[in-house]
Amino acid sequence: MRTGVLCALAGLFLILSDTVAAAQSREHLAREPRWQALLHINPGATLRDRHRSYVDDDNFFLSDTGKDDPLAELNASIEALRPAQAPERCRFPARYRFFAEHLGWEESGWQESAPFAHCDEYMEWRQSVQANRAVLVFPAAYLNSPSSMFGHTLLRLDQTGDGTVWLSWAVNFGAMTSEQDNSLFYIYRGLAGGYPGRFTLVPYVQKIQEYSHMENRDIWEYDLTLNQEEIDWVIEHLWELKDINFDYYFFDENCSFRLLELVEVARPGTGLLDKWRFAELPVNTVRALDDKDLIEQRHYRPSKAQELEALVAEMTVAERRLSRRLADDPDLAQSAEFQAYPPPRQALMAQTAYRHVRFIHRKEERTEDVAKRSFALLGLMSRLPTATPPRVQPQRPPEEGHGTKMLGVSGGQWGADDYGQLTWRMTYHDLLDNRRGFLDGAQIEGLGVTLRSTESQAVKLERLDLVSIRSLSPRDTFSKPLSWYVEGGLERAWAQGRRLTRYVQGGAGLSWRWQGWQPYMLLSARAENNSAFSTWITPGGGAEAGLLYNTGAWQWQLSSAGHYFTNDEYRHRSRLSAHYALGRQHGLRASLEREGWRGDSDTGFNLEWRWYYD
Amino acid sequence: MKKTLLAAALMGASFSAHAVAPGGPGCGWGNLLFEGKSGLPMHILATTFNGTSGNATFGMTSGTNGCDTNGALTYSGESLLGMNGVMEEVAQDMAVGEGEALTALSVSIGVDASDRAHFNSLMHQNFASIFPSQDVTAAEVMQQINMVMSQDQQLAKYV
Repeated sequence: MRTGVLCALAGLFLILSDTVAAAQSREHLAREPRWQALLHINPGATLRDRHRSYVDDDNFFLSDTGKDDPLAELNASIEALRPAQAPERCRFPARYRFFAEHLGWEESGWQESAPFAHCDEYMEWRQSVQANRAVLVFPAAYLNSPSSMFGHTLLRLDQTGDGTVWLSWAVNFGAMTSEQDNSLFYIYRGLAGGYPGRFTLVPYVQKIQEYSHMENRDIWEYDLTLNQEEIDWVIEHLWELKDINFDYYFFDENCSFRLLELVEVARPGTGLLDKWRFAELPVNTVRALDDKDLIEQRHYRPSKAQELEALVAEMTVAERRLSRRLADDPDLAQSAEFQAYPPPRQALMAQTAYRHVRFIHRKEERTEDVAKRSFALLGLMSRLPTATPPRVQPQRPPEEGHGTKMLGVSGGQWGADDYGQLTWRMTYHDLLDNRRGFLDGAQIEGLGVTLRSTESQAVKLERLDLVSIRSLSPRDTFSKPLSWYVEGGLERAWAQGRRLTRYVQGGAGLSWRWQGWQPYMLLSARAENNSAFSTWITPGGGAEAGLLYNTGAWQWQLSSAGHYFTNDEYRHRSRLSAHYALGRQHGLRASLEREGWRGDSDTGFNLEWRWYYD
Repeated sequence: MKKTLLAAALMGASFSAHAVAPGGPGCGWGNLLFEGKSGLPMHILATTFNGTSGNATFGMTSGTNGCDTNGALTYSGESLLGMNGVMEEVAQDMAVGEGEALTALSVSIGVDASDRAHFNSLMHQNFASIFPSQDVTAAEVMQQINMVMSQDQQLAKYV
């Protein structure tokens, strides 16, 4: 009897402890990095959804509390996926595989079709999406759209491995927008998370068309060190994300951030999301992956514009002019002038002319004239010897560029006052900063603050730049882009005394480049609000001319700009600046400035040390 | 920063007045060679914001060109040619005699790596018959390619 009681008690104890152990092991399992990655639990990388799932879609969870409770989701998933032929298996193959590995379900069965034999749609898809290499793709900035400096990233899955990536799939995370939305609404929703973000699989060739052909963006491709098994995790998890919504936020929860999460699914515990990420810039994604040794090789895919430039560089001035005329009139190929050149030179000119025609018309609707000329030039090319286009020398890759944030300490003199000055810039690059990894002639700055302290006065706001974008695109025989700029914020300027003035300013003009020299001329308009001008907003018009020069680590700029205002005020400012890059993250900058207005002027100089970080 | 975006949006909006959805023209893909493409504010913005314009596929819905209904995830030569802009690239590569688009085409047709150089030069030589006019369609181009290959000793086996 006693024994019986003891046995019963022991049995009860055993059952209890077994249950406790099972519960503990499930708790343990729910904390597994891969489970957390599969559920997209925020480990603390961004403010929103901390320690909850980033997924904003009920269809993704099997438990009602799944978004907040990885354990509840784990239990519900085990429950749902365990029965043979469970329909949920067809939706969550990666989760199934996770349990198969950890709970010993049908060992190694996930590799065979057995667990998913009833999932026709999934099986068909899974068999078509094979990949043996994962590549991070970063379309870099392009001139005339400096905002593209913020870039985009996507993941490419290569399935052939024999010399062509045109047949690869691209994994893209993007906001699902609709064409009905107007631009302003679009911006607002993009910032506020009003669009759902989704993963899509698209042919990579479409992305090449979009970036390197339509937008002239060079593309950088980084082979990741993920092995076959890790890549399979990503593919299977992608199926789980089909038609699943995430809220899209432009700054942090964007394409680049979501790709880091995918890598985390492939290789949990990489620590990619450990660091606080306020604004995920694609270039920092590349750096983060590089830091964790996830990148093994880099490829450069030049844009159409770069390829055209490389062809043009192969030609003499006379050949360039003839080629340009040939583009307008393919019949010139019959002329004695063209025929006088040896066939390889003819081929070079024909190819350049053809590419030029395509380049300038590719964004337009098809016209009979352009189609005819294009076709005639193609025919000409095909009758001439094979002309291998010259290899485009890659620029320095973007991740070798300076940090995205900047802190500057400077001292100088303005008029009779000595001062000390502190500048902080949230992002990203101006015309004089170290050009390594950046486009020449492109500037994009967002949120910069400068505080100045003089001997006689307390610390004052010297300027606040909300935005400053410049695109100085050089013109040549083949390409005639416009240069433009837009900026706005607060700055100190002369208006019956030196005072803080709120302004918006923008303009357009022309620029050219010859070796390291780049002159430019711009017409501009300015609207200003300050306490001295009697109208609330005082508009003005003016012009700016300047010259950029770079050589080695040195960047020089000479510029002069003047504006007339409708209240008959007049102001002009000239500046000579020199920047010396002290390695990647440091620079020294000196500038001499003169500001003039009706009747008087002030002169100053400034010497600044700049530190780039993050 | 909001201003940056605003400014970018305004600049974008002022550059062009009309918008056409990026993506393929769907069924009836005549005149694809040298078709115009529309690079427009929404498109530029969409890329700036990493947006997709609501027409994304998951590789399961409609194949590659809005015309396939079999949900093919791998390309045949014809479905590759039928994609926006690909035929133009292939035409250029054929005229030159080499290139990535031409390689992709040969792979999608199933040409072995060892026969690829021969394929390239054959296409180069027969450019005029493969692309007889600027109004040729992807289907016609594919038909001509097959014809040229079938008359070639080395490549006839792929047709």
